[in-house]
Amino acid sequence: MGQNFNVDGTVTSAISGEPLVGVNVVIKGTTSGTVTNLDGTFSLAVPGNTTLVFSSVGFLVQEMAVTANSGTLNVAMQEDIADLEEIVVTGLATSIKRSNLANSVSTINAQTLTGTTTGATLDGALYGKLTGVNINAAGGAPGGQTAMRLRGVSSLSGNNQPLFIIDGVYISNIQLTNGSSVASGANAGREEGGSNRVSDINPDDIESIEVLKGASAAAIYGTRANAGVVIITTKRGTQGKTKVSFNQDVGFNTIQNYAGRRVFTPETVESAFSAAEREIFETAQAAGEVFNYEEELYGEKGLILDSRLSVSGGSDRTTFYANISRRDEDGIMKRTGYDRTSLRINVDHNITDDLKIGFSSNYINSNADRGAVGNENNGGFSVGYNLALLTVDWENLFPDENGVYPDGRFAATNVIFNRDIIDNSEEVNRYIQGVRIDWTALQRDNIQLKFLANGGLDFFLGKTFVYIPETQQTQRSTTNGFISAGNNNSLQYNYQVFAVVDYFANNEISLNGQFGVSYLNFESDAIINQTTQLIPTQTNLAQGNSFSTNQRLTDEEELGFIAQGQFNWADRVIATAGIRFDKSSLNGDPNKYFAFPKASLAVNLANFDFWTATSVSLLKLRFAYGETGSSARFGSLYTPLGATSVGGVPGLALPRVDQNNVRAQLGDTDLEPETSQEIEYGVDVAFLNGRVGLELTGYVRKVNDLIYPFSSIPISSGFNNSIRTDFDLKNTGFEIAINAQPIAKPNLNWNTSLNYWQNDAKVDRLGVGEFQPSGEGFSLTFGSSFIREGENATALAANIGGQVKIIGDAAPDFQMSWYNEVTIIKRLKLNFLFHWKEGGEVLNLTKLLSDFGGVTPDLDDPDVIANPRFATFGAEGYIEDGSYIRLREVGLYYDLPIGNLKAFEGIRVGVSGKNVFTSTDYTGYDPETSAFGPSGLSQGIEVSPFPSSKQFYFHLGLTF
Amino acid sequence: MTIMKKYIIIILGLGLTLSLGNCEFENDVDPNQPSLSAVLANTSPQELNLLVGGLEARSRDAMGAFITATGSIARELYDFNASDPTTTETLIGKDGATLNGSEPQLTGTMFARYQAVKSAEFILEAVENVALTEAQKQGFRGVANTFKGLNLMNVLSLLNNNGVRVDVKDPENLGPYLSKAEGFQAIRGFLDLGFDQLQGAEFTFQLSGGFTGFDTPAEFAGFNRAIAARVALYEEDYASALSLVNSSFMDMNGELADGPKKSYGVGGTEILNPIFKSPQQSGDQYVVHNRLITDIQAGDARINKFRLRDDPVPRDGLNGTHEIDLYASSTSPIDFIRNEELILIFAEASVQVGNLSDAVDALNVIRNAYGLANYGGAVTEDALIDELLYNRGYSLWAEGHAMFDLRRYDRLNDQFLPIDRTGDIIHTEFPIPPFEQ
Repeated sequence: MGQNFNVDGTVTSAISGEPLVGVNVVIKGTTSGTVTNLDGTFSLAVPGNTTLVFSSVGFLVQEMAVTANSGTLNVAMQEDIADLEEIVVTGLATSIKRSNLANSVSTINAQTLTGTTTGATLDGALYGKLTGVNINAAGGAPGGQTAMRLRGVSSLSGNNQPLFIIDGVYISNIQLTNGSSVASGANAGREEGGSNRVSDINPDDIESIEVLKGASAAAIYGTRANAGVVIITTKRGTQGKTKVSFNQDVGFNTIQNYAGRRVFTPETVESAFSAAEREIFETAQAAGEVFNYEEELYGEKGLILDSRLSVSGGSDRTTFYANISRRDEDGIMKRTGYDRTSLRINVDHNITDDLKIGFSSNYINSNADRGAVGNENNGGFSVGYNLALLTVDWENLFPDENGVYPDGRFAATNVIFNRDIIDNSEEVNRYIQGVRIDWTALQRDNIQLKFLANGGLDFFLGKTFVYIPETQQTQRSTTNGFISAGNNNSLQYNYQVFAVVDYFANNEISLNGQFGVSYLNFESDAIINQTTQLIPTQTNLAQGNSFSTNQRLTDEEELGFIAQGQFNWADRVIATAGIRFDKSSLNGDPNKYFAFPKASLAVNLANFDFWTATSVSLLKLRFAYGETGSSARFGSLYTPLGATSVGGVPGLALPRVDQNNVRAQLGDTDLEPETSQEIEYGVDVAFLNGRVGLELTGYVRKVNDLIYPFSSIPISSGFNNSIRTDFDLKNTGFEIAINAQPIAKPNLNWNTSLNYWQNDAKVDRLGVGEFQPSGEGFSLTFGSSFIREGENATALAANIGGQVKIIGDAAPDFQMSWYNEVTIIKRLKLNFLFHWKEGGEVLNLTKLLSDFGGVTPDLDDPDVIANPRFATFGAEGYIEDGSYIRLREVGLYYDLPIGNLKAFEGIRVGVSGKNVFTSTDYTGYDPETSAFGPSGLSQGIEVSPFPSSKQFYFHLGLTF
Repeated sequence: MTIMKKYIIIILGLGLTLSLGNCEFENDVDPNQPSLSAVLANTSPQELNLLVGGLEARSRDAMGAFITATGSIARELYDFNASDPTTTETLIGKDGATLNGSEPQLTGTMFARYQAVKSAEFILEAVENVALTEAQKQGFRGVANTFKGLNLMNVLSLLNNNGVRVDVKDPENLGPYLSKAEGFQAIRGFLDLGFDQLQGAEFTFQLSGGFTGFDTPAEFAGFNRAIAARVALYEEDYASALSLVNSSFMDMNGELADGPKKSYGVGGTEILNPIFKSPQQSGDQYVVHNRLITDIQAGDARINKFRLRDDPVPRDGLNGTHEIDLYASSTSPIDFIRNEELILIFAEASVQVGNLSDAVDALNVIRNAYGLANYGGAVTEDALIDELLYNRGYSLWAEGHAMFDLRRYDRLNDQFLPIDRTGDIIHTEFPIPPFEQ
């Protein structure tokens, strides 16, 4: 007997009473509905007595039954503390409410990401805020260089970083190689201290980040997703009054922790060096010329300025968001620093009610001066290396009145000269464009067919420049000056087309299916030109007498077909199944498809009729399974020959180490992708009316047939490594996340989250029994990462007395973090984040260098004298516990009462700090460290890195 | 939009999507460099010549590692290295540290030598299928086998009683480590085979300028016999050493410096002479062991190989008054083997077979060349061995011989060599590196 009638009403926030714009009002079991307007009011025609469903981001869904006699509806929406209604992406084209999700997907919103303090890079801003994430920095150079690892170890061949996708565009996260390893003799591009490209992204543009940590969540991304997927969504405009906001941060960088220098007396100088050296020391002492070169190098307070202007607004058909940001940061060493300018405009437009188009455009320019850092083998290049091994504090390394620098007496260089004169810089110009088209092709009462196409490109030109003048001490006897200028051209583009069907069988059952195709194409061309035998004072590549050119091309394509279906019974039981077929030009057979299935089940017990405990609004049991893949690094299929030249006579032979960035590799033309299978299970509970949320997750994540360059092949084979695949590993772990709102009074609000996570990565099978992964350590005399069947994949080992012995494990026993937001009288906000990492050893090779150099601070200790570290213990003497408790972020903000000031809507001031306090037994620069840059295992070995810094800021924020 | 239009668009879209499934990917060519299988499958004469260029290049690589290893162990010098702190530790046996086979000086040398052997194997494999005359092919084979023997000898010298692996053709199925005696036999076999192949051969390839005077098959054969003489000497087969050195390019009246050389240069893939060190730099230097300064005879011009240090800073408890002055610049060549060494081989072999007066004559050629008067000591085997070792020690200083010379005469120990720091020990050979077997 239903008659159409109109329902009118207003939707407000239960906490503040303010009207809510843009709330979805939908007739339950159908796709028809409307959206509240600027006053929070709506008007909807309904065909008879029915139920209306009210939903909006950040609020709990409400249902109201309506009849013709209901009158004006006033709906007050509750805040969604436990994020039950949060929308999470599952398939490539669909999303799902968090309360229905069968996976543990961590999300970070803008407030958590940058609300407490700022930092240069995006990945740095994530640490400690998500379970299952481990981040190592290769050093503290401005501009960052971090390795992000999700749920343990995924790969050895360079694909250990998760896939980063911004607004549907697959973006590059490589580390530029700058050729300085040719001058310094360091072992590879990874030891040169370059930054990774995700640091170009402006954290202020980000609306939310979802992290799919393992195959069970990421299966739908197929052959690139073994190490997980990080999905970034940038801010979009909303209709309404145009909002302008401006933020200015002023702050400074200062070193976190010094390693220290030994304080000598004439007696100790004589016994460590010689009687002749003692006289030199006493003369210097008398003249007041005993310095502390560590403080001289790393003791600067670098100024940081960060300005951000954003404008957003729109009408009912078009919305936009624009952002201009600039960050300018000086490092803790003179002549180092980083600056980044980012311009973004996101526009969304409804061409018709059914056809929407969205653009995301971002241009970034960044420049980094990273200093002469990194490992080295023969060059007198790295400041930190030479400081530890071959510099004493009573040499005078400062320039004289004519600007001439004395030579280092013990070292192949003067570290002050290197700081003041050597250039090592990167400039990146990058453009990222994404386009998205949504077309609702068919909309009936209970069925909806949509098409979604998105695509984009990521283009960057990375220029690197390393200059060591001919006057430098080592250069005078070797190559008389060194210029390495690199141009790294990279273009990545991808597109996806999907058909999405939603079918509502009745009021309770809905089905969703998506079918699509995805294509990726990545190309890069890195040309590094090196000129030596320079004409004095010249810095142009043409001005020298000896030239060398390296070029490295890569070309990768992938094509995938995807199908996924989901069944939802009244939000009580949600089952999903899907599969992806992928082929990749990185595999031996580039046209063979590999299948990656997934299946998951979520049961919301609290939504069943038998559930009466109203205080528990969510009790979800979930189970998920998925498979992903990872292809070999480009080049693994080939066995290369390198060019040679002797007295001008050209030749071809197996390459020397790292000639043109290749090693003498025995390639494998039959490579197939390594695969990961993950089973994840868990329970999510929300109780006390959503004031407390608890997520418990366990997982077993196997990676099979890992592709690895096996470099423990016999030296007599003439090859550095072969490519093998007989390696399986298993990550087992456990994650707990608790979100609560212990105090929710009008004048005091406290939100807190506590995270706990642990992961164990075991080597299940290794055909060769054991090996030292290449590029993960030095000779076993000094210690290295080491893979042995039956042990943890994160083990560190050394050659002790002819036997390779495991001396430590770089993976932590567990990590915990505690994040808090306290709001007092609605104006004063205090946020802080503590991070506790327990376990995880670090091989402190900086200390080995300073021991050999005689300058470690504790060398006068009777204990240390009685048992000299290297002689007594070998590399084992340098294993230290890397546990720490760190106050990672802390911020205090105050919203000024503006009264009747018409110009502003809000003024906020604040102070904050990053990594302000660390409690640890580790004696090196920073326990979160790695010598090897962002790819590979990247853990647990410190070799004179650029020291990490802590930062303090003052903030001013204006909203117009 | 009408339903019809919608359906048309949908069908077109699906068609486009499905057609993507037909695009073929390709990946058989490496865009960055030639690949081994492609070059060996169908070698052109030009590629074969390039393989010879590669063989010569790899044979001159890693000299720094070899000299640091042998010179430190034999107490000829210390390597005050710019970045490796263990050169003054493990190589000098500090606090009794023994060698474990992971030393980069050993592994670096072995790797370069075996890459050279692989180059020789590539040539021997590829030459079978190239369009050349038999005489031309023999030219390639002769050179390949000569370099093969030369490079393997380097490895056997370092590993000594631990033997050497000589069959490396198949990287997945390497031959076994032979005993020292079998190793010597195999190496001399390769050199003899090469010598036979050079008879009547024809060279169609180019060697570097370092081989000027040794780049015809007959001249190169003289180089082959010289290397074979050195190998026989190390094997202590003195009778063979004598006859081999007499078939080599040895010339009692010729320039001592004559001989083929390893070339170094700047530019592209050239490398610099790693034994040259910038004068008066302690951060990266070869420091002369003081025993060479104290033991040199007055008037011996070989003292010019040593330069007095202005600021002799110590390193790790070791020091020396002088530093290396052996090469004039970073592009100076290093000898593969020169006339001077051949004369010394002749002298040593003569002593050992009992031709003592021949030995004295040869030693006098050397002595006179360096401003010393004729030998006036006793003409007995023991006295002449001492004189011989004195001359080898200074003539061939820092060239990778002293370790083997001292070892050959049981003098690589603390009876004959000084111990600089209490607890130091003297090594005699390297173990086989881990992962070799």
